[in-house]
Amino acid sequence: MRFILLAAKNLLRRPVRSVLTILGVGLAVAVAVSLTGFNRGYREAIEDSIQKLGFQVMIMAKGCPYEAATMMLKGGTGLLYLPSDTYTQVVGDPDIQAITPIFIGIAAKDASSIRDDAGDSAFTILSGIEVDSFLQMKPWLTFKTGTGYAGGRWFRPDSPNEVVMGFEAAEYEQRRVGDVFYASVTPQGKTEPVRHEFTVVGVLERTGTQDDGTVFMSLSRAQAAFGRPEQLTILGVKLKQFTAAKLKEFEQRWVRLPEVQVVSLQQVKTTLVSLVGTAQTMVAAVAAVAIAVAVIGVVNTILMSVYERTGEIGIMKAIGANRSDIFQLIWLETLAICVLGAVAGCLLAVLGSRAVEAAIKVLVDLGVKGSLVRITGGAVLAALAGAVVLGFFAGLYPAWRAASMRPVEAIREGE
Amino acid sequence: MNEHNPNTPDASDPVIRARALTRYYRRGSETVKAVDGIDLDIHPGEMVSILGPSGSGKTTLVNLISCLDAPTSGELVVGGRRVTGMKEDELVGVRRGLLGFVFQKFHLLPTLTVAENVELPLLFLRRPVDRDATAEVLRQVGLENRAAHLPKELSGGQMQRVAIARALMARPRVLIADEPTGNLDKANGEAVFDLLYGLAHAQGLTVVITTHNLALGYRADRVLTLEDGHIVRTEAGRRQAAA
Repeated sequence: MRFILLAAKNLLRRPVRSVLTILGVGLAVAVAVSLTGFNRGYREAIEDSIQKLGFQVMIMAKGCPYEAATMMLKGGTGLLYLPSDTYTQVVGDPDIQAITPIFIGIAAKDASSIRDDAGDSAFTILSGIEVDSFLQMKPWLTFKTGTGYAGGRWFRPDSPNEVVMGFEAAEYEQRRVGDVFYASVTPQGKTEPVRHEFTVVGVLERTGTQDDGTVFMSLSRAQAAFGRPEQLTILGVKLKQFTAAKLKEFEQRWVRLPEVQVVSLQQVKTTLVSLVGTAQTMVAAVAAVAIAVAVIGVVNTILMSVYERTGEIGIMKAIGANRSDIFQLIWLETLAICVLGAVAGCLLAVLGSRAVEAAIKVLVDLGVKGSLVRITGGAVLAALAGAVVLGFFAGLYPAWRAASMRPVEAIREGE
Repeated sequence: MNEHNPNTPDASDPVIRARALTRYYRRGSETVKAVDGIDLDIHPGEMVSILGPSGSGKTTLVNLISCLDAPTSGELVVGGRRVTGMKEDELVGVRRGLLGFVFQKFHLLPTLTVAENVELPLLFLRRPVDRDATAEVLRQVGLENRAAHLPKELSGGQMQRVAIARALMARPRVLIADEPTGNLDKANGEAVFDLLYGLAHAQGLTVVITTHNLALGYRADRVLTLEDGHIVRTEAGRRQAAA
């Protein structure tokens, strides 16, 4: 017989109570681990999404910074435009390593298309680009191959009606290489949409970014279709040296232009994080309350157990147990509950992370793609270590109470 | 002439010796003299019954001599060690291995088997479990076939036998039984007393037993009768008389 076995058997005496207490700890740990996983996953997803934009700085029309922050990552319909000559002014900046002009427009669709957040209308994101400079930013873009996708390539400048479709856009539209793609665009200043017919010349492999849902065409074709031949949506910029000082210098040089704002993707990241910061704080508070309630539950359970076993504790002292033996026994019981709860909570968090992620995505528009809950081994170990620490403190009072019982009084009370 | 050192045990020394032993309680503004100036020697191998009405101080006296409670005043030597003034952890050291206990309520751990309950003292004494020793102790109390049973599967008499086996497992020199037959019917009570009597006889164990049952109590070597915290009568029991 070992103390740990005796502690385990004591917990089995009231299995329902023990299991409920363990579940209480488990739920609290699951919330904490999921939240930690979400924090980590969300930040990594933002980093990943930003990295896959390919540029560090965006020059865009002045407007809502939140819209600016999320537009490039998750798309959007409230687009603002800046004059095309901004490009000609900025392109010669000595700190620029690469720059690419991008025009983004929204084409209405009748059916079987990507739906916007409200789900009450269908649209397709059309993106006009200069292939060479765009690929300097995103050299990882490759074409899907296989049956129906063979021979994928970028559109030619002299073939204005060719498009390249992102992975998801092609999936939704059920288009392959050589298919026709229709888009209805209402040009600037017009009220009736114009139907355009394009030929799909390539379908991109999945990137996990907004590019997956985009249909790419030449910059001039997109500008013409939307009736904005002298306008751009953004200029993507990669600096030679991406330091805070260089960024500040660059920003100060170009922020003087009317209608222009310079947004670093670090700012975008900060903005996106701040978007869910309040929600995270609230969830963290809920997790903290859940943990506090769980700890109180553990203390209560163990105290009840100690009071119920007053006579037995007296007998154990009579037959040779000293204070530290009793303390150790009760403390082990507390620790076992906390550790088992932590294990259950970690399992619950790992297995339920997808459901949690889906729930979070429904509740909060986070503006990033990909998996948002990333539970690491470190987080699980931290949860287990936290449970040990909580168990240690939760067990102190009940263990002290039990250890302090005088045997003769304990035996008398137990009779 | 050498002065006797009470902390040095001698074969002829009493295993328990009390002089002017008192234990007073406060109950509100009243002082209850549960044990009031008792002198007592209990020798190795002796079986002593303590009789008396409820409230006479029987349980308080055995709690004192079994080092479960501390006296208010007086001198108490147990197993050659002067225990007066000792702290709880020191008293544990005296109890360990010297004293075995049987109580009116069995206090078996319900989730442990009979064998595990019997072996429980070894956990606290940091002694290894010896299955043969466990089997032997269970055989002595007539429960060799019940080792794997849980307490709830036993009768009251059997549970008290398990409690006795638990007390014996640490091989104590003194077995202290406080109303061991109090929760048992007449037949089971007599059987348990017979068992204690036999163990005392066979193993030379010192047994101190409190009981309300005069017939059982008088089967001991010596019978002490308590009233109001005093020993009012000391008599030879039938065991002594028979010898």
